[in-house]
Amino acid sequence: MFGTQSRGDITTHDFNPMMMQYYRPSIHTRRANIVVKFQDLYGFNVEGNVDDVNILNEVREKVRQQGRVWWALEASKGANWYLQPQTPSLSEGISAASRKLSALANTIALKRLIRKGIPPILRPKVWLSVSGAAKKRSTVPESYYNDLIKAVEGMVTPASKQIDHDLPRTFPGHPWLDTPEGHASLRRVLVAYSFRDSDVGYCQGLNYVAALLLLVMKTEEEAFWMLAVLLENVLVSDCYTDNLSGCHVEQRVFKDLLAKKCPRIAAHLEAMEFDVSLVATEWFLCLFSKSLPSETTMRVWDVLFNEGAKVMFHVALAIFKMKEDEILMAHQVGDVLSILQRTTHHLYDPEDLLTVAFDKIGSLTINTITKQRKKQEPAVMAELDQRLRRLNSLKMDDSSPNSSPKQ
Amino acid sequence: MATMGNNNLNAKLVLLGDMGAGKSSLVLRFVKGQFLEFQESTIGAAFFSQTLAVNDATVKFEIWDTAGQERYHSLAPMYYRGAAAAIIVYDITSTESFTRAKKWVQELQKQGNPNMVMAFAGNKADLEEKRKVTTEEARLYAEENGLFFMETSAKTASNVNDIFYEIARRLPRAQPQNPAGMVLVDRPADRSQSAACCS
Ligand SMILES: Nc1nc2c(ncn2[C@@H]2O[C@H](COP(=O)(O)OP(=O)(O)OP(=O)(O)O)[C@@H](O)[C@H]2O)c(=O)[nH]1
Ligand SMILES: [Mg+2]
Repeated sequence: MFGTQSRGDITTHDFNPMMMQYYRPSIHTRRANIVVKFQDLYGFNVEGNVDDVNILNEVREKVRQQGRVWWALEASKGANWYLQPQTPSLSEGISAASRKLSALANTIALKRLIRKGIPPILRPKVWLSVSGAAKKRSTVPESYYNDLIKAVEGMVTPASKQIDHDLPRTFPGHPWLDTPEGHASLRRVLVAYSFRDSDVGYCQGLNYVAALLLLVMKTEEEAFWMLAVLLENVLVSDCYTDNLSGCHVEQRVFKDLLAKKCPRIAAHLEAMEFDVSLVATEWFLCLFSKSLPSETTMRVWDVLFNEGAKVMFHVALAIFKMKEDEILMAHQVGDVLSILQRTTHHLYDPEDLLTVAFDKIGSLTINTITKQRKKQEPAVMAELDQRLRRLNSLKMDDSSPNSSPKQ
Repeated sequence: MATMGNNNLNAKLVLLGDMGAGKSSLVLRFVKGQFLEFQESTIGAAFFSQTLAVNDATVKFEIWDTAGQERYHSLAPMYYRGAAAAIIVYDITSTESFTRAKKWVQELQKQGNPNMVMAFAGNKADLEEKRKVTTEEARLYAEENGLFFMETSAKTASNVNDIFYEIARRLPRAQPQNPAGMVLVDRPADRSQSAACCS
């Protein structure tokens, strides 16, 4: 897509989303509706109508324009102006203060720019920098990843077995992910991570996240570090461990935020006994990768890596907010679910979603969210603990010869 | 049972079982008549609905297809709470999945709705040459625990519709009130026969 800017970096895989220039739809007529099948920017098969294709083409054009903005800034501010500013040393006196100021200005400009989208070709570099993954990597020897994958090669663990099971079940049919090379790459990243953090090991859901990271990042190693920074720094802790306690906490925080930010929807759903985590759990665990179109997901991740986990709440709230009227008219759980599903699957224009997420939802500070999490943690722990105890007592009661002796 | 007039029931149904046992595949076969050699792993749960005509009533299933990985266990109560029916699925080629299925049965017996209709499905019955769990063993277990049992194959479609029909037939009917919200007598209007799915 940004052909002239191509840098000839060494990539670990052949699939290059930037090479896909045109949507070449194959058209099937289904009654009056024309259903179009095509591959999107990242190689995913999409089925939509003609409007969807038009929207995607517009989005492609906007991505190109946004690219020009970035190149212009590079030209005026220097090539790597957006990389994490180094803290100026004190000995440089006045110039240090002014540099601090310009660093601050850059941070503000960058935030605004990132909300408008990072050009696909710059994503690897910008993500590594703003997320802190580059810094994380710099604290270990350069050979860390290679040593890790060499050390774990051929080892069979419960995690590696589950990973193997999920490889062909991760975005099946994708032109690169669903090839032996794609599987091998995804396997290495996931198995390596399961050794880096044995509390996480392998949690289903990470396969989708890691797969998208592989499509975006230039190398497998970079994808690994992005996964590490996500789990260790960006997202709430324990999101993927043992009993997903962190995920439970986030769901409760989300419920509270929905009541605060969209009180009418929250009240309506409550009256229907619709628990929002029925649908939001997958959003939070897969970081929207299974629900939103790929470029829209990437735009969410752009902001997520720069601004942190609060972005997950902004976006999840926005999905509900966008369909407020429709949701208020629905009276069955199934109807609400289909509204949400239809909405997420058709959000081809990231702008539609992000405008609501940041302008309409209003500000959410990291502080509020941290406080909310602290408030919910004891309740979640108590609930999980109680459940565990109930299950254990259930095992002891049981005298049936068919019951298995071990958990 | 065939005496109820124009009855429209809504029934929440949940599928539980080990990862890869074939829960999503069974639902896909039932709802869309399709089978995928590689079915995406389910995260959290996926929702589908499908309406069945049984005798002179229609049953609209609201199906929750849950994630099988052990750590997702902590989410399960949210999905089986208030369910009128459950299908507990294991893979006949995996003893591990059979053990796991029995744990689900225990949990539902203790914590699910007391009137829940429970089906026990030994899936991947087409893989006879790789079988690890015998039909007799599973049938005996099911009988002892008051479940109805079928071996199914999402791949060949064998017994797939049957298991859902059998559940529909066994659902308690014409409850004047539904204290647990189990089987709701639905508004007769605008029920479509078509399936919708939600991921
Ligand atoms: N041969 C055969 N394969 C099956 C059958 N049912 C499912 N499979 C395959 O088994 C794999 C797992 O099936 P799923 O339906 O995704 O299993 P699941 O229980 O939903 O798994 P999770 O979502 O991970 O909990 C898929 O690759 C299916 O194609 C069957 O009846 N016969
Ligand atoms: Mg599944």
